[in-house]
Amino acid sequence: MSEENKVLSPLPGIFYRKPSPDKEDYVKEGDPVKKGDTIGLVEVMKNFYEVKAEKDGVLEKFFIENESEIAAGQEIATIS
Amino acid sequence: MPRYEYGGDEFIFVELSEEMSLEVNFQAMAITKQLKEDNVPGIVDICPSNASYMIRFQPEKIHPDDLIAKLKQLEESVSLDGFEISSRIVDMPILFEDPWTHETVMRFRDRHQDPSSTDLEYAARINGFDSKEELIQAITDYPYIASMIGFVPGLPWCYQMVPREQQIQVPKYVRPRTFTSERAFGFGGAFAVIYPVQGAGGYQLFGTAAAPIFESEQRLHDFKDSMTFPRQGDLLRFRSITMDEYEKIRKEVKDGTFRYVMKDFTFTPQQVLEDPKAFSDDVLGRLYA
Amino acid sequence: MIKVKNPGLETTVQDYGRIGYYNVGMPPSGAMDKYSYTVGNILVGNDENAASLEITYMGPVLQFQEDAVIAITGGEIPPKINGESVPMWETLSVKSGDELSFDFVKKGARVYLAVAGGIEVPLIMESRSTYTLCGIGGMEGRALQEGDELTIGTNKKQDVKEGTSLPDEYRLDFSGDNEIRVVLGLCSYRLTEDSKKRFFEREWTVTTEANRVGYRFKGERLHFMEREQPFGAGSNASNVVDLGYPIGSIQVPDGVEPIALLNDAVTGGGYVTICTIISTDLDKMAQVKTNEKVRFVSVDIEEALQARNEYRDTVEKVRQFVAK
Repeated sequence: MSEENKVLSPLPGIFYRKPSPDKEDYVKEGDPVKKGDTIGLVEVMKNFYEVKAEKDGVLEKFFIENESEIAAGQEIATIS
Repeated sequence: MPRYEYGGDEFIFVELSEEMSLEVNFQAMAITKQLKEDNVPGIVDICPSNASYMIRFQPEKIHPDDLIAKLKQLEESVSLDGFEISSRIVDMPILFEDPWTHETVMRFRDRHQDPSSTDLEYAARINGFDSKEELIQAITDYPYIASMIGFVPGLPWCYQMVPREQQIQVPKYVRPRTFTSERAFGFGGAFAVIYPVQGAGGYQLFGTAAAPIFESEQRLHDFKDSMTFPRQGDLLRFRSITMDEYEKIRKEVKDGTFRYVMKDFTFTPQQVLEDPKAFSDDVLGRLYA
Repeated sequence: MIKVKNPGLETTVQDYGRIGYYNVGMPPSGAMDKYSYTVGNILVGNDENAASLEITYMGPVLQFQEDAVIAITGGEIPPKINGESVPMWETLSVKSGDELSFDFVKKGARVYLAVAGGIEVPLIMESRSTYTLCGIGGMEGRALQEGDELTIGTNKKQDVKEGTSLPDEYRLDFSGDNEIRVVLGLCSYRLTEDSKKRFFEREWTVTTEANRVGYRFKGERLHFMEREQPFGAGSNASNVVDLGYPIGSIQVPDGVEPIALLNDAVTGGGYVTICTIISTDLDKMAQVKTNEKVRFVSVDIEEALQARNEYRDTVEKVRQFVAK
């Protein structure tokens, strides 16, 4: 098994797992991801910041629900 | 009774009246003009408003309570008798029902009191006019006074110089819009405004001004001394124009040759309050002489 | 020259602000946390109105194209030079080619990068501060973008020794509660007694709409005294005849969510304002993040002036410490 990678939020705000309410999730638990893929959005100050995978792998688990509050440095997901 | 209130440690806010009237606007003007002439140390900004005014000051130089005492004294001593307002009469060309604000009006229909009509139709109906043309006529027949400048740089709140029973009043949007186009001509409460720059806004939208009121590059003649054009106390006449004239003015603005049609004019509050109709005829006569 | 390799979330050029144009509707802009901004300039020996970079939440990546003396102050967004951690609140020197970057924000919301000489951009109404709504000041009236090149100016008064480090007592302290002191007043007569009480009793959560223009808070609905609306005010109970808004004033449109008006806010409008954040606590407000909670504490004008004096004493002590 390859090294686990924690995806952290660089910003405080609201976390979204999908690009807009009527769209599909960017990625589901268990899906493969490539480095640079967007896995969610953080909204703050009228900006939407794209959170990206930092390595190739499988998105193992999300630690935060769609549309919930997130703190800077909080763990969003792990990629293995 | 006026209210004297602290706005933190750097502002004093004085509410002369809870309701708008020409008299109270003139009073705010007269007090703030005298304060300016008195050159009180420590005053940073003097902001006359519609029915109130606000002072920013440095408490190191003047204690807020001493400033309030000074302002109360001015309230007692300043009189509208003999108060002269050095003003300008300005022609403000407006394209009513223009395509740009119409697009905005339609886009934010769900935030409006009456989603089934346009802002102009709605405002005409609730003010008892038979048609939107009659409302436009009422807006353009009598001049307005720029009773306050603010919100964003250069935005004039304009109050029509007619008796209260003749004033047009409209509510603001139920929820503010996130977008208003540059130079949009709007109406809210008893005030007409022109939005200097694109941004949020909650006033009913009736049209677009052809000429800018804010110009950061300061290219045009009327902006040489300041990025903002309107001044408090200006007398503005909104004039309904055609698309042809609108395009002609836009071209002049682009070429840098546009100049506002305006005349310097000094008047007293009594002139306005005693006979608004005669005053208005005089103002329009001078403007287009 | 400083080259912007990555602009961060919202990095702007700011100085003390555009003061004295409130009557034409021009907000002051300027550094939101004046204390950290001022101390930064002191640590690099600048004039106290020299322009710095205000960095929010996520820092930029900057490459210095010349040797420079810098200081980083404010919240905790840990700085690194060429990938190595460097201290905040300290006079640092960087060499041409060095790259400054930042880790995730740990505490606070904003840091200031002061550069000896200041950031050189044109003066607009005697200020270099960025005001993005009207597109004036700073770097072409906007936040920094990738590829921008910033010129270092000549607003330096004196040399400060490299390694001059401020003692803890002069650094921001994040150990306490987010208590924001306000002076009640303005149109507070419009609130019901119960709502006035609730405003000070409860905690308010900062929403995602919290930027240089203002901070919006979630909590509970506030209620206004019933009245027949005065002529010209508009129909909503939270409407007044349009009036001036002090910097730091708090309004509650429709009673739904309080909004604190800050450096780039509108200068007036038609909503009831109920109180004003005292000038020293505007700095504190600027370091509160989205999703954090604050409590508003009512103080009288003498307490506000006292806080102001203490603030000035502290800045003077910092000045003396650095001059030694």
